Amino acid sequence: MDIAAFLKALESSGLANRIRDSFFLFPLLESIHVFGLALVFGTISIIDLRLLGIASTQRSFKRMESDILKWTWGAFALTALTGTLMFITNARVYYHNFFFRTKMLLLVLTGINLLVFELTAGRTIHRWDTAPSAPRSGKAVAVLSLVMWISIIFMGRIIGFTTTRAAVTPAPASVNFDNFLEGVPSDGSGTATTPPPKK
Amino acid sequence: MKQFAEWLSTTSPSVFIQNHNSWVIPTIQSIHIVGIGVVLGSVFMIYLRILGWAGRDQTLRQTTIRFAPWWTGGLWLMLATGILMVIGEPVRELVTFSFWLKMSLVAVVTLIAIVFQISLRKHEREWEETFVNRRSIKGLAILTFLIWACIIVLGRLIAYDHVWGAWSPATKA
Repeated sequence: MDIAAFLKALESSGLANRIRDSFFLFPLLESIHVFGLALVFGTISIIDLRLLGIASTQRSFKRMESDILKWTWGAFALTALTGTLMFITNARVYYHNFFFRTKMLLLVLTGINLLVFELTAGRTIHRWDTAPSAPRSGKAVAVLSLVMWISIIFMGRIIGFTTTRAAVTPAPASVNFDNFLEGVPSDGSGTATTPPPKK
Repeated sequence: MKQFAEWLSTTSPSVFIQNHNSWVIPTIQSIHIVGIGVVLGSVFMIYLRILGWAGRDQTLRQTTIRFAPWWTGGLWLMLATGILMVIGEPVRELVTFSFWLKMSLVAVVTLIAIVFQISLRKHEREWEETFVNRRSIKGLAILTFLIWACIIVLGRLIAYDHVWGAWSPATKA
């Protein structure tokens, strides 16, 4: 199956239809997504600031890592799940969106960044565990992590401003039918979309 | 409130944000989300310490000294970006049920945080030795964290105030 057919199949799945047809499911998914990513960013930045020697400098890094990272991963799973569910409601539009693609690329890069850490400073934790900051490679990873996560947040937010959302939202009384038509995908298929709401 | 919102939308800072809508608003919103990340991460660590699920190598006081400034700083950042969002889109923000419920909950958690900080400073020993082990305190920590989760959900629902149906003043307009 090629990618276009796959995306179309995702959109026409029962689950995607269920979310699109619901009055509140999409907003709820989006809200949980924000909660999850706030926790991901909040906890990961605590680790990054420790690596940089900016905060929690008196604590053992290993200790903090084992205290915090499991929550980061849990929150990441929640964010990925809600993100996927939002994606399938309008897969073709998101797939072709520049900011969505950049965000996915950045997510892959944060994964590689993590791998780099494991292969460099992560191997010598026993040497700097109680030192106020990590060796240079660890600091570089921390800076990259902070920059990439903030960029991911920005990309995620701007997706909502640059895509149309396929969902049943009650049209305001002042809705202009011409604007309404502009939201329909050019191939004329799929659910009629509302113009990008001011999010 | 609707009149006030409409008046605010005609003032020059508001008009500026409206005219640069395509990038100003997403940027402000993103900074706001970074702020909530900092705040949520910080309060989460304090709650985990109260629950005894993380940071047990630190005293409660050490934990709050580490995280409370970030909590406060993040909150100021959110207040600043939040005010900019209200100025930029007054009607969208102020004429919603979600916004006012969210603000009430923010007031509640802020009050809880202030009372906690004052009490911890005054009764440091009792907090470290007995209070922190009390079920009621642990329950309050979980409850407060859930209020934070609701605040985030409500923040996002400002854009979808119709989910409240008749409770939303926006549907009446």
